[in-house]
Amino acid sequence: MFLQILVNGVVLGCLYACIAAGFSLVWGVLNVINLMHGSFIVLGSYLAWGAYHSMGVSPWVTIAIAAPLFYLMGYLVQRGVLNRVMAAPVLVTLTLTFGMDLILNNAMILAFKADYRKLILDPPLGTVAWGSVVVPVDRLVATVFALVLTGALYVLLRRTRMGRAIIAVRLDRDAARLMGVDVPVTYAAAFGLGAAMAGCAGVLLALIFPISPLSSIPYLGKAFVVCVLGGLGSVPGAVLGGLVLGLVESFGAMAIGPEHAVTLSFALLIGFLVFRPQGLLGKRGFE
Amino acid sequence: MNARSFCRAFFCAAVAAAPFAFPPNAAAQETIRFGAPLPLTGALAPEALKQQQGYDLWAEQVNKAGGITVGGKKMKVEIVYTDYQSNTPRAVQAAEQLITQGKVDFLFSPFGSGAAKAASTVSEKYRMPTIASTASSAQVYDQGYKYLFGTFTPNDTLTTPLTQIVAQTAPNVKRVAIIARNDLFPLAIAQEMEKSAKNRGLEVAMFEKYAINTMDHSSALAQVKAANADWIFVTGYINDLVLIRKQMSDQRIGAPVVTMIAGPAYQEFIDAAGAGAENISSAAWWHPAVRYQGKDLFGTADNFVKLFRAKYNSTPDYAQASSAVSGALFQMAIEKAGSLDREKVRDALAGMNVVTFWGPVHFGPNGQIDSLEPPVFQIQGRKAVVVHPPEIKQGELQLGVGMQK
Repeated sequence: MFLQILVNGVVLGCLYACIAAGFSLVWGVLNVINLMHGSFIVLGSYLAWGAYHSMGVSPWVTIAIAAPLFYLMGYLVQRGVLNRVMAAPVLVTLTLTFGMDLILNNAMILAFKADYRKLILDPPLGTVAWGSVVVPVDRLVATVFALVLTGALYVLLRRTRMGRAIIAVRLDRDAARLMGVDVPVTYAAAFGLGAAMAGCAGVLLALIFPISPLSSIPYLGKAFVVCVLGGLGSVPGAVLGGLVLGLVESFGAMAIGPEHAVTLSFALLIGFLVFRPQGLLGKRGFE
Repeated sequence: MNARSFCRAFFCAAVAAAPFAFPPNAAAQETIRFGAPLPLTGALAPEALKQQQGYDLWAEQVNKAGGITVGGKKMKVEIVYTDYQSNTPRAVQAAEQLITQGKVDFLFSPFGSGAAKAASTVSEKYRMPTIASTASSAQVYDQGYKYLFGTFTPNDTLTTPLTQIVAQTAPNVKRVAIIARNDLFPLAIAQEMEKSAKNRGLEVAMFEKYAINTMDHSSALAQVKAANADWIFVTGYINDLVLIRKQMSDQRIGAPVVTMIAGPAYQEFIDAAGAGAENISSAAWWHPAVRYQGKDLFGTADNFVKLFRAKYNSTPDYAQASSAVSGALFQMAIEKAGSLDREKVRDALAGMNVVTFWGPVHFGPNGQIDSLEPPVFQIQGRKAVVVHPPEIKQGELQLGVGMQK
């Protein structure tokens, strides 16, 4: 049973990393706490559900569609709305994204109703077993995809011109501007990337969790905890934070009962905020 | 203040207060207003929508027939909704506002046992006859209140017949594992299940609670697997139950009997759980298959389902049926009382003994219905099939959920 719970924890942790990566990027680079992140994920799930059940498009293909689509949406939201208030205190962007989340979430309730739906693959992917340890294939595939996606984001930030610009703006906005970086465009690109990550995560999670507009808040809550654990703006931090959270919840549920697993993860959050606010891989003093 | 100025002040106050003490004559009124505080937004929105559909269908049917007959005069019905955003303290406020500012004649309780109990205090204070259409927990009705009535029987009336039929059909089932959402109704029903199981001599091998908004049940399920249970009993709402059923398949966990409450009564559960829904058993207060010849305006479950389908293009479950029958019960009580007088209508409800499409309705001394025998059903071939009580059963209980061949 120990091994099974370890495997469960690792797989769950990768899903959490996938939920949090885009959120962490936007918070870390733009200093915007994007409260729409959970709703973006749910929207991605609906995209996967609709594409599969009405047009027979497999979720693996939908990921390729979701990424540019959500990038564009995020880019436009940042360009059109958020860039206007970037100089204002963080509370203003927080309130703004909160308001936009209310609109987006209620629009989804209107469009899709609040019923829970589920993307059911036909035939189902089934499970694989090594001895007594059983792992569902869909979670395994989602885990691999989550790692690939976060890896791609990491490479994008480190190796490409746009990625370097994002990191430059994150380190020092004014110096980056003096070096000729177009700051508003970079902001929009970073927000677009965050949205694309959320959309792709949504497509993957549609295979695993029931889909409803009401799921957006739990997703957002997990993203918060993972970011604080891992460190803001750090892609490897999101993976590490996700893994830590997944393992703590799994073993916590076994040791002290499932009813306290969530309490445990939030106790961990408070502990980190008090003793290591920069997170596992974050850098102190960066706002 | 001397005696004279006191008298003057008192007189002025009394004159100012008079319109409030003597409201406009009820006979001048054209419509009967029913207040319904509901969680129309927030986490409970899907439940609120169901209740709203039930009330609206009833109101539409009553008005189509000309209205409710009050002392020889037909009066139309109007339902006044307020949204309390899935926030229980606000539900109490919403109920009070409906009574004091909304000037409603009668009230429906907010959703669920918790909010219904909280708001019942307001009903009692204003002597407002109130029907709770979605509150089952005995704690809602044990407050000695006179104006609160409920259409759900206590939780043990769901678990007792379940254990009875499982014991009859599968005498080899000995070990029960219970997983409960740590929430008022799901936890209460799980505790009733524990009692019912022990009364039948079954061993409760595991009893675990999980927190609201839990996104992963694999650890709890690993323990279920280790407990080697013959009967897995899970409580929660649709999202929890769909996720748990999925994770049971993920970990290759099965059992001769798997019971889930309260999701499988809803069509969405069957759609969302897909093939995994097969042979899941459950119990609810009502099912479209029940056969009662009612005296209410809907008459039979068939007729109710037909009208509901025509209006909403979906099949109703117990939540919508309970809301609609709550309206129908008010209607019968008002017609019997022959007036909108709150005391008379309250007495008519208390003395009610009538068959409806919902089932026989008689309220016990505490206001909770005591005449209904809730059906046990099972998902077979993607359809809910009633397996108990014998008078209305459509099939036999089948064994085996997700068992390895």
